[in-house]
Amino acid sequence: MDRVSAIDPGRLRALQRVGMLSGFAAGAWLGAAEAPTKLVTLGIPPVTISLMMVLGVFLARWSLPALVRGTAAVTEDVRQAPHLVIWAALGGCLWAVANTLTVFAIKDIGLAIAFPLWNSNSLLGILWGTLLFNELRDAGRLRALAVLGGAALMFLGATLLAIASATAAPGGSALRGVAAALMAGALWGTMYIPYRKAYLTGMHPMSFIAFFTIGELGMMSLLAIGFSGGVAPLWADLTRSRDVLFWLMLAGFVWVIGDLFQQYAAKYVGISRGIPLSNTNQLWGLAWGILVFGESGGTKVIGGSLLMALGAGAIALASASGAEHKRWQEAGARESERYGVDPAYVAAGLAGQDASAARARRRPIDWVLVAFASIVFIWFASAARVPALHVAWGWAAVLTLALVGFVVVAGVALWRATRLG
Amino acid sequence: MPVNPTRPSRARALLSDPHFWIPVIVLILGLAVLRWIA
Repeated sequence: MDRVSAIDPGRLRALQRVGMLSGFAAGAWLGAAEAPTKLVTLGIPPVTISLMMVLGVFLARWSLPALVRGTAAVTEDVRQAPHLVIWAALGGCLWAVANTLTVFAIKDIGLAIAFPLWNSNSLLGILWGTLLFNELRDAGRLRALAVLGGAALMFLGATLLAIASATAAPGGSALRGVAAALMAGALWGTMYIPYRKAYLTGMHPMSFIAFFTIGELGMMSLLAIGFSGGVAPLWADLTRSRDVLFWLMLAGFVWVIGDLFQQYAAKYVGISRGIPLSNTNQLWGLAWGILVFGESGGTKVIGGSLLMALGAGAIALASASGAEHKRWQEAGARESERYGVDPAYVAAGLAGQDASAARARRRPIDWVLVAFASIVFIWFASAARVPALHVAWGWAAVLTLALVGFVVVAGVALWRATRLG
Repeated sequence: MPVNPTRPSRARALLSDPHFWIPVIVLILGLAVLRWIA
């Protein structure tokens, strides 16, 4: 007998649509997160820069859920599926190690070779999605081909773009650089296992990111202390770079919005489609670099961009069918059984309904979190210095408008279809 | 005689979940590579 009942086709189409939209919005915002970091022309160790960004990420990942849903809803999610706290923190640790490895990969083999190597994470994501979570099962040949072919096209496009945007000259050991880039791709591709695990079990994205960031900040702090040679030298680095901290924290904040959309994409279209779509961030990062900061482009940029756009388009058109979605539901039922999670909670999560009864409640701690994050950002903004750098403000305004457009379109679609569930 | 409903131990479920060990192993490998290259 079937353990799950198929979701209404109209509802499934709506969920697939918001998942795809979220993937594109994620790409735009994750790409834009590179922009504030370009204002930092420095002498700060790269690992310390990462730690500063993660500080901004941490504040955003606790204040946004408090503002949108309230911490009572987060508590309710944890009560339903406490094991997912471990999964989320594990995902955060994977992110932090991957991010640190990319610094060494770029130093040793340059961005042109390193980027396509770690961008292979989308291919690994498809493998994990298919093997572990029934993604692309019963999808039909055409849809499976569109997803695989689209990911391959995007991989080629990413390679061209990386070659075009290479700035760092290789200056180290090639073997170590390749190992670092490949390992970063493996870590980032594997990081989506916790994502999918959480969403098949019904967890809300805003609860997941709150615990993800504990692993992220914890691991990043350990790595930064290790690479700086102790707490005192790290603290000295941080205080010395007080006037640029705001830009890095702002980058972290922008990154969080992109990542939140990425979470919704992983939830509603799965990791095999969600990761390639959010990998369009490379296109947006280049757009900011070329149009706003005057970096050089060329025919490779046009060719690479077209390939990436074609690949993303193919994936966007290959949304999951009812038969495939039923296989996802079966994977969700398996998780429910293994971990003893209420099947109604799991089914509601997969259908995009926020099962948490605590949703509308706000507690004083929610406003304290929002106020604390705001005060920290305002305090660092007051100490920030705008570096003397040529910026095309007209293009910056156009791209910022595009970002706002993505938030409005994807946000409204998510609200209508799922109430941000 | 009353029957106590049994609930699976989540810690045991987590540790016996083969999916759990994939990210754990990849994380350990990642830290090992980082230690090697840094």
